[in-house]
Parts: sequence; structure tokens; C-alpha cells
Amino acid sequence: MTAVRALTHGFWRNLPPFRLVLGLCPALAITTAAEYGLGMGLAVTFVLVFSNALVSLLRRVIPDEVRIASFIVVIATLVVLVELAMKAYFYPLSRTLGIYVPLIVVNCIILGRAEAFASRNPVLVSAADGLGVGLGYTISLIVVGSLREILGAGTWFGRPVFGDGFEPFGFMVKAPGAFLCLGLLLGVMNAWSRRRGEIFVQT
Amino acid sequence: MDLLLLVIGAIFVNNVLLAQYLGNCPFCGVSKKLDTAAGMGLAVIFVAVLASVLTWVAHYFVLVPLDLEYLQTLVFVLLIAALVQLVEIFLKKKSQALYRSLGIYLPLITTNCAVLGIALLNIKHELDFATMLIYATSSAAGFALAIVLFAGVRERLLLSPVPPAMRGTAIALVTAGVMSLAFLGFAGMVE
Amino acid sequence: MRDIGRLVLVLSLIGVISAGTLAYVRAALDARIEHQEDLHVRGPALSRLFARPAPDLLANKLAFRAGGREYPVFYLDDGGQVDRLAVEAAGRGGYGGDVVVMIGLDLARRTLIGVEIVSHHETPGVGARIERESFRAQWTGLALDEPVALRSAGGDLDAISGATFSSRAMVDGTNQVIELLRDHADEIVELAAGGERPARAKGGS
Repeated sequence: MTAVRALTHGFWRNLPPFRLVLGLCPALAITTAAEYGLGMGLAVTFVLVFSNALVSLLRRVIPDEVRIASFIVVIATLVVLVELAMKAYFYPLSRTLGIYVPLIVVNCIILGRAEAFASRNPVLVSAADGLGVGLGYTISLIVVGSLREILGAGTWFGRPVFGDGFEPFGFMVKAPGAFLCLGLLLGVMNAWSRRRGEIFVQT
Repeated sequence: MDLLLLVIGAIFVNNVLLAQYLGNCPFCGVSKKLDTAAGMGLAVIFVAVLASVLTWVAHYFVLVPLDLEYLQTLVFVLLIAALVQLVEIFLKKKSQALYRSLGIYLPLITTNCAVLGIALLNIKHELDFATMLIYATSSAAGFALAIVLFAGVRERLLLSPVPPAMRGTAIALVTAGVMSLAFLGFAGMVE
Repeated sequence: MRDIGRLVLVLSLIGVISAGTLAYVRAALDARIEHQEDLHVRGPALSRLFARPAPDLLANKLAFRAGGREYPVFYLDDGGQVDRLAVEAAGRGGYGGDVVVMIGLDLARRTLIGVEIVSHHETPGVGARIERESFRAQWTGLALDEPVALRSAGGDLDAISGATFSSRAMVDGTNQVIELLRDHADEIVELAAGGERPARAKGGS
């Protein structure tokens, strides 16, 4: 598999959290606005690219028995780096995202890609896979975030999109709106896949 | 009275799963049958409480005195991973029955954000030890309650004519949304 | 046996490298993070107290230790004279933990300029009403020389009904500052006027 193919797979074939049903928690929790989706998506992308690259680099050195433990240390280190950088350069965002930044460490996408892909592929391809999946995830988060922000608050990236007469659906930025929005988007994507005749089973 | 409010708040109002969005992967993954859901719920309560105690002690007696709070994430996740391994070995040796019912869920729990999430929330809310214990137990119980209720709904869903595109995770998420709406009704109880 | 040795070696190596990297990055970013915290957490409170944009105020900071606690102190020294201070204190006994307040002090008139809430964990809609302007306005113009108290404890301040704990925590924070000034006002002013780079406060809010 070439690096380019690994990269593009992230955008559709392995698009999280829709095609790869992983990483749901942040997708639900922080998508109250498009901006937060973008921030969280980029943070996850950073961690994914480097964790994939490092895991792939170390794949012959790390003994099988402590594989998962080593992956966790690598991932957690990267997450702490992101936490510190976010505090130093995007302080308000880091306060809004709160505990969901440290929780990137248990985002199943990252451990999943390390185990399923990076531990079996060369460095460059693994990094490309991380970048692809990460950017795919970022786009998904922005889409969910935009939908919820536009309907729930009447703004997009903080700018008003409707006239003064618009009464926001407060429901959309609350928890039920998150589940509903993600579920319906998933349904739309499934319907689209079925039309294109792709065989795709979600369990 | 305050403690009662804390318990009700943690189980219903700020339900870990339906209001704080923690632990959704196992929520969708193992909620297809009632008994697996109950097993997962119990395993999470067990591990979350132990992990809360462990991480609370580590935070206040190791990280804070050494001024290493920035390593919180790293230390917590390693402690939880180690704890899960130990519990697994211990259960295997001591109680075959318990191991058979909880064992298969344990590896999944390492990457369950509910456990790490509760541990982080304990610290974020600056709870003292006793309050932390109650908060962690009731939060985890809230998770168990939600996942068991949800499994019940999903068993019924299997018999319903769901449009093909919505089958599986999609309808599960919508269902969770409706449940979350129901839980939102508790919000008035504890301001 | 060799295998176990290798396991331990690899894991410890990864651990050491990770700890080293993090310690280095943390040391490099520490000052920036603290500045950001000041700007976004304390900044708004400060700029309301002194009616000035926060970035101008944050540089004049020192950390004063007294009674086993550390108090972040910000000062205004227009015309070379330190005449106004803002002192942060964690008021104990709130319903959801400490209520961190920032008290503005006018040293020339010996009065309080006002009180701002830096952070709190009080219940929204109940204890969180301590943030209201109408409640906090009671602090403005109080004398700097005597402790304050709620009306229920024989003082002049009206508590927020249904939120006695939260109100009490604010009073506690205020009195910590008043006591600090009573015992150490000269030292603080001297430190501030000295203009030497004061010891930096520890991170965290």
C-alpha cells in the first residue's frame, strides 16, 4: 500500500467516526460549535500522525507482550504535549474542551490505528494513514459541529448566519441533539453508500 | 441531604453516558444483549471505583507534592492500564465464576473513557476522599444503569422494521438521543 | 530470563525518553502557560477592577507568602507610587469548594475598590448568583481596616438568600485579604515599589 492510498483511505473508506465507528465520545461531546470540532480534530490528527509514526518506527524493537503498554505510553506522552501546547497557545479553547483533551488518550481511533495499521506497516505509510484518518475525523467533527452550531445557536464559527428573527433550537447543542445529529448523519451516509452499491456492514 | 443530591446528580442529571458523553464506544459495542450489558456495567463500576481511589491517592500524594500535575494524564492512564491487568490476573486466580462473567470486558475497559473520565472529574471538582468515593460510585452506577436500560431497548429494536440505512449504530445513536432526552427531564431536580 | 530483561529495558527506555521530552517542553512553555492563565482567568477580573485593559496590568505581579498560603498580588504604580492593589484569595467554605476572589484595594483612601470572582464551583442559578453585580456592589467602598461579616453574623453584608455558603466563602476570602494587608501592607508595597522581578507564583488557579 502506498502512502498516498493510505492517506486518501482516511477520507472515505475509513472515515471516522462514521465508517470507522470509533472515537464517538469527543464527536458527541465537543461538537457544540464548529470551532471546537476543528480544534479537537487537529489535536487528534497531531497525536495520530506521531503515534503512528513512532509505533511503526518501534515495531521491531517493542516485544509483543508489552506492546499495548508501550503504545499507551507513546500516545499519552503525545497527548500531554498537546495539552501543554494548547494551554500555551490556545488557552480559551483548552478551557472549553476541558477533560476531553486528556481523554484523547483513550480515544479508540488512536490505539486502534496503532494496533491495526502502524504496527504492521512502514513509517511513512503509517504516518500518512494517521494524517488521513486524522483529517477525515477533523472534517467529520467540523460537519457535526457546524450542523449543531448553526441550528442550535444560529452561528457558524461564531458568526451569525440568520437574521434576528431566528430562534435557535437549544436542543441541538444539548446532549440529545448530539446523539440524534450523529445518528441521522450516519444514516444518511449509509443510505449514500447503499446507493453506490458499496458493501458496508455496521454492527 | 447534600450527599443525596450528589448521588442523584451523578446518576441521573449528569449521567456519565447520556449527559457527559463518556464511554460511548462500549455503549454501542456491547449493548446488544441485556446480560452482556449488565456484565459490562458491573465491570465498569468495579474498575472505576478502584481506579478513582488509586488515581486520587496518586494525584494528591505524589503528583501535587512533586509539582508534576502536568503528567496527570500519563500517570492516570498507566495506573488504570496496570490496574485492569492486575484485576484480570487476580480474578483468574481467585474467582473463576467472576472471571468468566467479567473477564472478557476487562481489556475493553482500559480504553473506556468513562473510567479515565471519572478519575479526571474527581480531581477537576476538587473532591475530598469520601465525597470522591460516593461520586465515583454513583457516576459508574449511572453508566451501568444507562447501558442496561439501553440494551433492553435494543433487544426490542431487533424486532422492529428499521429502514435499512438506519440499521445498527445509526439507530442506536438516535435511540440514545431519545434516552438522553428522557434523562434531561431530571435536570430540574438538582439545579 | 533474557526476554524479561528486554521487556523491562524497552519499557523503561520509552518511559525515560517520554519523561525527558515532557519535562523539557513543560519547562519551555511554563512561563507562557502562566501568562495565558493570568490573561484569561485573572485578566477579566483585573481589568474590571482597575478599568484598564488586562495586558497592561499583568506585568505588575508578585506572589506574597503569608500564613502558609500564597497570594497573587497585582499592583498599580502610576507616578511611581504604589497606590492600588488587587489581591487574590481562595475563600474557604463554599458549597462546591473554594471561591477564588480578587479584591481591589485603594491604599490612599484605605477602602475596597470592589470584588471580582476569579473562579468558583458553586451551583448554577443558586450559589453562582454571587457573580451578580448587585451582590458584589456591596463591597465597593468598604473600609480596609476592619473585617467584614454577613448580616447574620452581625456585619453589614447581605447574603444571597439560599446561598449562605457561597456568600460566606466570599466573606472569608475578603477577610483573608484584609488580614494580609493589616499585617503585611508595608512589605507588599515595598516589594512592589522595589521593582525587582518577584518570585513567580506557582501555576494553577
